[in-house]
Amino acid sequence: MIKKIIEWLIVNWLSLTSPIIVFFACIVISIWARRRLFRYLEKVFSQRNWNNKDIFLNTTKTPFFQWCIILGAYISFQLSPVPDQFKTFFGKILSSIFIITLTWTIIMLIERIFRIYLKKLDIIPSGTTRMIISGLKIAFSIVAILIMLDLWGMPVTPLMLLLFIGVLTALFAGRDEILNIFAGFEVARNNLIKVGNYIKLETGEEGYIFEIAKTYIHIKSPDNKILLIPNSKILRSVVTILSEQPKRATQPFRFSSRLHLKELTGLKAKNIQELVDILKTVDDSIIYYHTHNFIEEFQYLTPQPANDFALWVSDALGDHVLGEKLSNVDTFEFSTIGALRERIINVIQEEISKRHEIKDTLPGREFHFIRSLSAVIPTSYVAHDLREFIEILRVVSLDTLYFHVFESRLRLHKGVNDFSIWINDCLGEKTLADEIAVLDPYSYTLEGLRTMIINLIEKNLEKDYAVG
Amino acid sequence: MPLDKDLSYQSKAKLHDYVPIVGRGTIEALYTLAEALSGKTVININSTFSGGGVAEILTRMVPLLNQLGVDTRWMVIKGNEDFFTVTKKFHNALHGRKENITPEDYDLFLDVGKKNVEEMQLTGDIIFVHDPQPIILISKKEEVGERWIWRCHIDVSNPDMDVWNFLYPYIIHYHGTVFSAPNFTRKLPNRQFLIHPSIDPLSDKNRELPESTIDQVLNKYGLDREKPIILQVSRFDYLKDPVGVIEAFEMVRKSIPCQLVLAGGTATDDPESDKVLEEVRDRASNNNDIHILLIPPESDVEINALQRAATIIMQKSIKEGFGLTVTEALWKAKPVVASSVGGIQLQVKNKFTGLLCHSIDGAAYALKLLLTNPEYAMQLGKNGQEHVKQNFLITRHLKDYLMLFLFLYYDNDVIYL
Repeated sequence: MIKKIIEWLIVNWLSLTSPIIVFFACIVISIWARRRLFRYLEKVFSQRNWNNKDIFLNTTKTPFFQWCIILGAYISFQLSPVPDQFKTFFGKILSSIFIITLTWTIIMLIERIFRIYLKKLDIIPSGTTRMIISGLKIAFSIVAILIMLDLWGMPVTPLMLLLFIGVLTALFAGRDEILNIFAGFEVARNNLIKVGNYIKLETGEEGYIFEIAKTYIHIKSPDNKILLIPNSKILRSVVTILSEQPKRATQPFRFSSRLHLKELTGLKAKNIQELVDILKTVDDSIIYYHTHNFIEEFQYLTPQPANDFALWVSDALGDHVLGEKLSNVDTFEFSTIGALRERIINVIQEEISKRHEIKDTLPGREFHFIRSLSAVIPTSYVAHDLREFIEILRVVSLDTLYFHVFESRLRLHKGVNDFSIWINDCLGEKTLADEIAVLDPYSYTLEGLRTMIINLIEKNLEKDYAVG
Repeated sequence: MPLDKDLSYQSKAKLHDYVPIVGRGTIEALYTLAEALSGKTVININSTFSGGGVAEILTRMVPLLNQLGVDTRWMVIKGNEDFFTVTKKFHNALHGRKENITPEDYDLFLDVGKKNVEEMQLTGDIIFVHDPQPIILISKKEEVGERWIWRCHIDVSNPDMDVWNFLYPYIIHYHGTVFSAPNFTRKLPNRQFLIHPSIDPLSDKNRELPESTIDQVLNKYGLDREKPIILQVSRFDYLKDPVGVIEAFEMVRKSIPCQLVLAGGTATDDPESDKVLEEVRDRASNNNDIHILLIPPESDVEINALQRAATIIMQKSIKEGFGLTVTEALWKAKPVVASSVGGIQLQVKNKFTGLLCHSIDGAAYALKLLLTNPEYAMQLGKNGQEHVKQNFLITRHLKDYLMLFLFLYYDNDVIYL
């Protein structure tokens, strides 16, 4: 038996050894070629300053070696004396191995380069990166499988058709999601916005960006609500970046509101003597009501009527001279209700001293003294900087504006409005605080006053610019 | 047995529906106030579930207060026709009109009142009594409730003193009283609050209507849309002076083509309405341009359509409570000609939000002025609408009620919630 084998080997030694020799020769040549090729590529990449050359070379080095072996094995098999059907079968196995390694190499290469590229756009969330890479891996794997199936003679046309339909369906179902992902990528690529920006969309949504996710941008609105804005919407609409994060206040400004109720006192005057007598005795909340009632009740009027005393003296008594004098009492001049009361009393008494006769009004047209009752209530609005402050100021009720400007200054004896106090004490913006403090709020409608204050603060903030 | 209003009807309007009209801050403030009243139960008591301004306001207010989280209920006292005849006399007498009120009338009022005191199963913390009919319920003050309020919707500044003195001992036992206007009051030892009534911009009576609906209503009543419409909406009541309106219209009609619509209904507590209606029909019978429309209480859309179709809206009352029909007219941006009485003076600032008159001649002059100067009329209407938006919508009324309930527990002028 052994003798027979030896004889067979002597007869066929050439058929056996030549493939092995060819196999090793191929490996040696291809390794040599690989080395030359890599040196050349390194040189070319270096000349062109391609930053990813190391990734490319390191990733493909081992696969190239594998491909050299596969090539050697394939050629040697073709030269071997094995039957043709074995050659074909073995050729398919080697081709399949080659496709697998090639696919794997491409996937690894893309993943590594893509990761580095996306990392430079630090705005792209990790979730998006993972998703894109996974998508590419799946796509290349599917292509590789289809090629292999075709190689092994399997019918791929129905599979491709199915795949095509599946992809189309998925694209259709997730079109918004896909759109948002790509929009997010575009936003990031162009570095349009970043976390900390205060943005305002043409559709009205506004707030600070505090997170940029793969499909949505999260913003915090002035009333502390979290809004999710789809990335595609950001790209489609005009977005105004109102500012980078402005200076933070040492203490936030908490907006309050004030609601009032009218309490009747039962006191009434039918002439100016009775008016002044009662004025001397009533409490501050009554003086406050009659010098501020018109602001709320007729705040849409321009110019606003003066205090209730002036109106009554003119309308009910027909005493236009005294009416004008009382209208000219400038409430803004006074920092206490007591001082304001004194001035009103003096004006009336001065007129009484000049009169020989005190005229009564008609029955039913007496002056009724009313007390103002106030409930100060907290709101959900809190401002940490001037940008937040003006965006809140745009939306708060007129009661809120009224409270901080009128009620706090005079009724709560602060002497100056709450806004100026906060801007000066907590933001250190003395000039702006003074500009607001010297605004005479009695000369504006409440809406007009709101606009004036916003304009003053806007000027103080950096100039807006728009993108979109 | 006294009745307890079934609240299952619950108003269709939700609080957030008012945000586009009054702003979010206003609604949020209401919730804050309501929270401060957490755990309190409010019981509203009046004499009828339908007809008249009080029932109309409560129909809207009670569900909204409940939406805010304030447990609010509505009950009515029970009374027969004789009782309501007496209370109608009381109502007129408190307005200052001379009425023949006999000792038997007072006895009947007391008897029905006492029966209600005995039969009504009252619970709750804040008992809110509306108008004189249920006023005797204050006798239960020691048994029920923490705070009792009497809401007077009538102008009692110049009342028949017999009736006032009869009611006075009951009134002064309430913790607080509420009036609609400063000049409706009399000096009282207890606290008096001023709360104006209001209208609901989302109710059938005030919401926007499509033109097709307005046309349908005009066709139904045979009104010509091409001819200017002068409208007065009110119950058929001497105090609304419907005959005076007809006389003013006839003066205008001599020189300007136009039509007059007197639209109104009757209330269950107003037995006099039928008599007034008959008189008005007689007075108008010879004039084809005068339309007397007896409209049932539930016809809010029809009233709304008539007001929106009107060229000018009148309210020529001799005496008036607050005059919600004026508020409705102003809200629809209509030029208004109204008597300078009662709460109308708070709503119509002469030559700014409408025109005030003091006589039939004055009313006729104002009508002519507006019919011949449509741009001026339009400007008055626009100002009037803004005035109502600021001061006479239901959200302001809700705020006032919540504040009232709260301040009954405080003596300070300023409270911090």
